[in-house]
Amino acid sequence: MATYRITVNGRPHTVDVEPDTPLLWVLRDALQLTGTKYGCGEGVCGACVVHESGQALRACMVTAAAADGRRFTTIEGLGADALHPVQQAWLDEDVAQCGYCQPGMIMTAAALLAGNPAPTDTQIDEAMSDAVCRCGTYNRMRAAIRRAAAEMRRR
Amino acid sequence: MTLTRRQFLRRSAMAGSGFVLATWLPELAFGADPLEADGFEPNLFVRISPDDTVTLTVIRHEMGQGVRTLLPMILADELDADWSTIRIEQAVTGPKWEGIRLHTSGSGSSRGTFDGLRKAGAMAREMLVAAAAATWGVPAASCRTDAGHVIHGPGGRRASYGALCVSAARQTRPDAPRLKAPEEFRFIGKSMKRIDGHDIVTGRARYGMDVRVPGMIFASIERAPVLGAKLVRYDDAAVLRMPGVIRTLPVRSGIQHGVAVIATDTYAAMRARAALEITWDRGRHATFDSDRFEAELDGWLERATYKVRHEGDAEAALAAAARRHEATYTFPFQAHAPLEVMNCTADVRADEAEIWAPTQTQHRSMEQAVKVTGLPEERIRIHAIMMGGAFGRRLFADYVAESCDLSKAIGRPVQLVWTREDEMRHGYFQPCTAQGFAGGLDADGRLVALRHRATSSPLTIYDIHAGRDLYGETPLPAPEPESFESGQSPWGAYDNPYAIPNLRVDAASVPSPVPHGPWRAVEYPSTVWGRESFLDELARLAGADPLRFRLELLAGGVREVGPFRIDGARLARVLELAAEKAGWGTPFAAGGRMRGRGIAASVYHAGSYIAQVAEVSLARDLSDVRVERIVCAIDCGRMLHPEGVIGQAESGITWGLSYTFGGRMDFRGGRAVARGYQDFAVVRMRDMPPVEFHAVPSVERPGGFGEHPVPMTAPAIANAIHDAAGIRVRRLPITPDALRAARRG
Repeated sequence: MATYRITVNGRPHTVDVEPDTPLLWVLRDALQLTGTKYGCGEGVCGACVVHESGQALRACMVTAAAADGRRFTTIEGLGADALHPVQQAWLDEDVAQCGYCQPGMIMTAAALLAGNPAPTDTQIDEAMSDAVCRCGTYNRMRAAIRRAAAEMRRR
Repeated sequence: MTLTRRQFLRRSAMAGSGFVLATWLPELAFGADPLEADGFEPNLFVRISPDDTVTLTVIRHEMGQGVRTLLPMILADELDADWSTIRIEQAVTGPKWEGIRLHTSGSGSSRGTFDGLRKAGAMAREMLVAAAAATWGVPAASCRTDAGHVIHGPGGRRASYGALCVSAARQTRPDAPRLKAPEEFRFIGKSMKRIDGHDIVTGRARYGMDVRVPGMIFASIERAPVLGAKLVRYDDAAVLRMPGVIRTLPVRSGIQHGVAVIATDTYAAMRARAALEITWDRGRHATFDSDRFEAELDGWLERATYKVRHEGDAEAALAAAARRHEATYTFPFQAHAPLEVMNCTADVRADEAEIWAPTQTQHRSMEQAVKVTGLPEERIRIHAIMMGGAFGRRLFADYVAESCDLSKAIGRPVQLVWTREDEMRHGYFQPCTAQGFAGGLDADGRLVALRHRATSSPLTIYDIHAGRDLYGETPLPAPEPESFESGQSPWGAYDNPYAIPNLRVDAASVPSPVPHGPWRAVEYPSTVWGRESFLDELARLAGADPLRFRLELLAGGVREVGPFRIDGARLARVLELAAEKAGWGTPFAAGGRMRGRGIAASVYHAGSYIAQVAEVSLARDLSDVRVERIVCAIDCGRMLHPEGVIGQAESGITWGLSYTFGGRMDFRGGRAVARGYQDFAVVRMRDMPPVEFHAVPSVERPGGFGEHPVPMTAPAIANAIHDAAGIRVRRLPITPDALRAARRG
């Protein structure tokens, strides 16, 4: 066991975990932040995407030791005060089916738009195609990302 | 009966809220007067509180198909409730549900509950109206309802449902409340937003894996390396020295044997599995190979002795036909691969148990929980938690059994979490089957005879569930001779919707060591893949347009096939609509890639009628094939939630694309090969073509929709590939190598 300081959604936490414990399980089991999902544990499915400085990263691929001293945002912190435009667009486009992959998808899309306010469809596909939605909501996600991008430019 | 106000208040206090009304589903009417019910239990669909909150209980299971929104819409519509006051409760098992299965399968949620839930809502509304009328001393007929209020006369005197709930409980329950005319619907037919939508996009939605119970610990199970291997012994000395590990336990309550590691957190349990030293008896399936299994299906087709459906004399008509054609299609083993892995949280104590299961079936979960815990049903409560995908996988409660087993042994609440690899390799799979066809055309190119032989492997989950050992010394018994015909199986072969004068469908039952269970659309994906591809082959042999060829076979109108009334006109209409919207028959621009269109259609249990046209393009060297567009036409009866229907169609087509081009589950050396999405390919966003939907307006009964759009996509694409490149694919998935192999013949 080792002690690490990790800031999540603006709140500093001290956790006692094994150094190799993935950030995903620190969030879910130690910090009770279950919005970040386990899908594969090896960086293939994209269900566990969180943000660091606005960039998307997979919480299953970062160990607690590596996360020490860093700041992350999870789905719980994305629209803490009001829904993020991506979340609102998701509702407007009726995207979710089972919804399990959607926190990771929303975090991926929000990171894309933070870096590129007007992505082309090809850029959207590139950013989103490392993630799996077994329900097949891809076309609606694409439409929601376009909608959110337009809304964010308007603001 | 009438409750005194005092009784009423007492019971209200017990239930924590006000007026409760029971009603029934078509499956069963409650015998007891609901107001005599012991307390205000949640076996009741409608509960109205004095603060105007309307609590509706959902008895079907949310896996993305939207039942937690749709079922309340049906209730709220007949109740004339104010949608903003609706609260949803998921039914928890208990004696009040006796006779009603808390179980979700077969795309049956709307079909199976529509009438009963309407009646439940209407009954509540009539009692509220009667209460208002009695209070005001006016005829009930002079009152109306709107958005949670009873309103009287031109003066518009109003009372809210909450204010009326005490007196409503004194009213006589009407046996046959008046149901709305369809033009009076307020919610049914509108695309209401998902009740869980906000929770999903904010990460608050709670799935099975998100359940947190005080004092809980976590478990992960190392499972048999090959199908049916038996656990002999194991050494856990190294495991017990690993961080967070509490203990280990042998597990034999699931599909395959295993050894559980129980730890303080999920990752500690997963991490420690690698240190287990387990001795297995690898058993007799350690050489099982799916390529060999598939190759042997041809031989089984020759021994298709189970009668499925015989009309006319297909053999004689084939012998006399002007032209004959034969072809065999195969469909590979497939995995469900839902994004949320199997998991369950169980708290089994000496005299009671509480279980939180992401399940399609509290009913079967209960059977497993009773078996494993030894507790009587009334001492077990099962909460149904939202599922991160299911697709049929969560119709079997193996993971519920395992978690109960562990919690019972250790005396603490345990959350069992599978890994992705566990999930891929230890599911129950779509059987690998072959569909053999022979068709005969007369001199005018009309289809006069069709012989369809299908292989089928039993859905062994039911055997395993009933305690029969798939890997025991005694093989599972062969199906009864009449079982295919009486079970209308295989779906899509039995209920072939086309009017063919001489039709003979037979089946062979092929034993398999692979655990099998229903996969999305069950048998339709394999049978419709073959049937719709073969019809295309026959149309081309006849020199006919594949659309025309089908329409001519549907001219007979309604046909009775066993219990099904299949309306050829409805299927013809969706075929025509899909073709029209897809520009069927219009030429492509010359040059560049090879381009083509293909069409396919099907009916699911005579409920919903769907046709799809796929447009594809291929590189001339066959190095890639691209779906440019899919046009889908739908007649699913009355559309209760249009966006929900379209969402399911998108989902089903994506599912179809995944198995057309992506994953198949192969077995080598008795073991499932794929261990994750890296080697069981499913569609990603970049693979998605534009998909269009066109609905035929209908006032027919809701036909169900969760699975129905799946089966046509693969044959529509294969037919389009043939149209573009003259290459016929009869095996899945379709890859450049498969296309080149098919061209070589």
